Amino acid sequence: MSAPLVIFDKVQKHFDDFVAVKELDFEIREGEFLAIMGPSGCGKTTTLRMLAGLEAPTTGEIRLSGQVMNDVRPHERDTPLVWQSLALFPFLSARENVEFGLKMGGVDKAERKERALKWLDKMQILEFADRDISTLSGGQKQRVALARSLVMEPQILLLDEPLSALDAHLVIRMQAVLTDLQRELGITFVYVTHSQSEAFAMADRVVIMGEGEIAQIGTPKDIYRAPANQFVAEFVGRNNILSGTVAELAQDTARITTPSGDFMVPVNEVSLSQGQNASFVISADLVHIAMAKPDGENTAHCRLISEEFVGSMVTLFLEDAKGHEFKVQMQERELSSFDLKSSDNIWLSWDTQSAHVLNES
Amino acid sequence: MNQGRTLNVLLTLYVGLIFAFVFAPIIFSLIFSFNSQRFPTIPLGSFSTEWYQKILSDADVWEAALNSLIVSCSTAIIATFLGFCTAYSDYRYNFRFKGPYLALILLPPTIPLIIMALAMLAWFSKIGMSGQIYSIIIAHSVLTAPFAMAVIRLRLNQMDPDLEAAAWNLGGSEWATMRHVIIPFCKPAIASGLFLTAAVSFDEFAVSWFVSGLNKTLPVIILEIVQGNIDPQVNAIGTFVFLISMTLVVLAQIFFASRQLKSIRA
Amino acid sequence: MPTKPVRKFSLYALTWRLPIIVWQFVFFVGPVLFMVAMSFFLVKNYRMTEAFEFVNWTKMLSRGYFWDSYWYTVMIATASTVCAMLLAFPAAFALAFRASETTRRWAIFLLIIPFFTSYLVRTFSWFVILSESGVVNAMLGYIGLGPYTMLNTNFGTLVGYMTLTLPLVVILQTVTMANIDKTLIEAARNLGCKPLATIWQVIIPLSKTGLIIAAIFCFILSFGDFVAPFYLGGSQEPTLPILILDTTKSGQQWPRAAVVAIMMMGTLFAVAFAGIALAYRKRKGAK
Repeated sequence: MSAPLVIFDKVQKHFDDFVAVKELDFEIREGEFLAIMGPSGCGKTTTLRMLAGLEAPTTGEIRLSGQVMNDVRPHERDTPLVWQSLALFPFLSARENVEFGLKMGGVDKAERKERALKWLDKMQILEFADRDISTLSGGQKQRVALARSLVMEPQILLLDEPLSALDAHLVIRMQAVLTDLQRELGITFVYVTHSQSEAFAMADRVVIMGEGEIAQIGTPKDIYRAPANQFVAEFVGRNNILSGTVAELAQDTARITTPSGDFMVPVNEVSLSQGQNASFVISADLVHIAMAKPDGENTAHCRLISEEFVGSMVTLFLEDAKGHEFKVQMQERELSSFDLKSSDNIWLSWDTQSAHVLNES
Repeated sequence: MNQGRTLNVLLTLYVGLIFAFVFAPIIFSLIFSFNSQRFPTIPLGSFSTEWYQKILSDADVWEAALNSLIVSCSTAIIATFLGFCTAYSDYRYNFRFKGPYLALILLPPTIPLIIMALAMLAWFSKIGMSGQIYSIIIAHSVLTAPFAMAVIRLRLNQMDPDLEAAAWNLGGSEWATMRHVIIPFCKPAIASGLFLTAAVSFDEFAVSWFVSGLNKTLPVIILEIVQGNIDPQVNAIGTFVFLISMTLVVLAQIFFASRQLKSIRA
Repeated sequence: MPTKPVRKFSLYALTWRLPIIVWQFVFFVGPVLFMVAMSFFLVKNYRMTEAFEFVNWTKMLSRGYFWDSYWYTVMIATASTVCAMLLAFPAAFALAFRASETTRRWAIFLLIIPFFTSYLVRTFSWFVILSESGVVNAMLGYIGLGPYTMLNTNFGTLVGYMTLTLPLVVILQTVTMANIDKTLIEAARNLGCKPLATIWQVIIPLSKTGLIIAAIFCFILSFGDFVAPFYLGGSQEPTLPILILDTTKSGQQWPRAAVVAIMMMGTLFAVAFAGIALAYRKRKGAK
């Protein structure tokens, strides 16, 4: 894509008795929308705060445009942050909030006002310019917070779970606002979230973190189709994970023996050897169901446990004779063509190429 | 449910009684200050402003009133400043000996005033600072700073924990952030602290009595009158003193609760 | 509080942290330590000289009148505490459980006012009201009762202490009880506990900490006050604060006064300590 703007070089962060970030080595590219995603406590917010200068790395370097930032104070950096709690100044009006960063930078009164109004207009909240913050709705406050950071015209914008306090319908709308903004302005967005749907919907690349380390970096599509390891596979998407031992190796496939039966997997990047333990993943939307045993190398006989409807998608939860849980995802209209009354007798199948072997890390 | 209602009536009466007990001396003092009799009792004598005229023409009273004014204003400023410094340090920093640090400001109110009065008298005499107006100011600032600190600390609790960092993030240095964010945010509590410490200082008599020497404050004058014979002038002075301290305390409370008043932005 | 980057040496941090340290050391710790030291000084010919002698201690602590005064002060302060806590309770109960939130706020607002207004003038008011020919006796006279001697008695002293402490005790008790988990009371009722019994079985145990704190404050205030026993109690039996007053103002015997002061402080520390330990004591076996 483009040149690296930010480089994390062997960065670690220790707090007194616990390690928040074990070792970070990655880069953030200019002009990209990067999401850092992971469960609570994985270190994603700490990483963002280190970039903003609110935490100092215990070891390692953070470089912005080639310059080492470790000793640069937070107010000397150009890394405006959109806070999870929004952190708007309650004693200032919306416009005064937006002007704040410019005021700190010594911009004169008239110019401050002009730029602030321009951005409030851009965020479609110009009419609220002189209002008290407490009178604004959640969505309006969100836009003030964005305007406040963007008016600084920074190279890089940091966002810490900014949509977590919004109602569900607003979240979708704001996601569109953010992606459009980023594309239009061309600045780098670094977006921290615990929500997979947010990260995958908006980002060019996603960094998945777990327990202070990077589990995988890639485009949403790559991660979804080819999770690098068990942690990512479980965290992302609806995946079926099966584990067993390698019984037989062929040119580009292998046969793996699991308690639920024998299955064929493609052998691509990961090198396998006979007798080795291996896990593989089949995405729930790549599994087919049938009422009678289908042809094919990969089948499983299950009974239906439950169904979950989300919008037009339905996820079926099934269980085989050995008690292993399977998930199948399809459109609701596809489901209606099946008669699931005989729910004890459902056959699952998938293509060998749909499976993906995991790294044993 | 009849029991419930009778109980409620009884309880309301009881609360009324308690309030009557608490406010009775204040109200009586007010009534008797306009009473013509020398010794206040019922039946009341005639309405008279004699006692007010007396105190308003007494030079000693005016001087003491002026002293009280100077002392409480100065005390308010110093105590609120000290309270702010401590509240902010407690809010923002964790450091060794933080416990003893907080104890340092919070202990004085737990020590009986008469003991503080003795200790201050002795110490100020030793270091040659006794008997002056500033002696009282210093002593009062020690006694009232905890109130200012408590009020401001409570206000800081209401601040979004990210607010300070948000200001740094937008380019404000620590000093600029203090000036443009922390202080504006704390304004109601600072005002409240000023009024509260002024009120406490204005009424304080024990330490003032010991430490002031010849520079008497109003409470000291009251003490001296009370030690003599029954003199209804005390009611007149008392009424003034009540009015002033009550106004200060009410203002302090209004500012403290002003967060709920949307119209006050600062 | 979120962690914030703090450099090793920060002028900014020091500017805010130092003032109170310097000020309090010079003007609070200094006086208190000096007072302790002063208890070992000597007074010859009305002049105090610095020394390290125990004579003030031995003289004071061997005097009958000191110990009489000591125990009397403990007794009357305890009486005051019991009185205030009992008198305040029904009012606090009403405000916490029967009053609306607004009423409660107004009540506390009103109760804070006298707490910060001239205690001296209020005492003087009571002096006038309670005297032989004062308002109370005059009113009782109309219905053929009295006159009763209320001043220069323990009763008078207690009225004075109530004037000092009642507003504070009511506020503390009200706030404590208003903040307990009301659903626990409902649960007790649901399990068959009679309404009056819930006070003893549920409300008081839940409010224990706050109530003990209120009692400690009340004791400290009463123990250290000289106005009530002096003006309303007639100092028939001098309390320790009156002893300090006499010794300082009339006798110029500051070292002796210091001894009394230190004995007072020691007692108050012990009471506060025991009270707090009691307030925060965990059940046996709890961590």
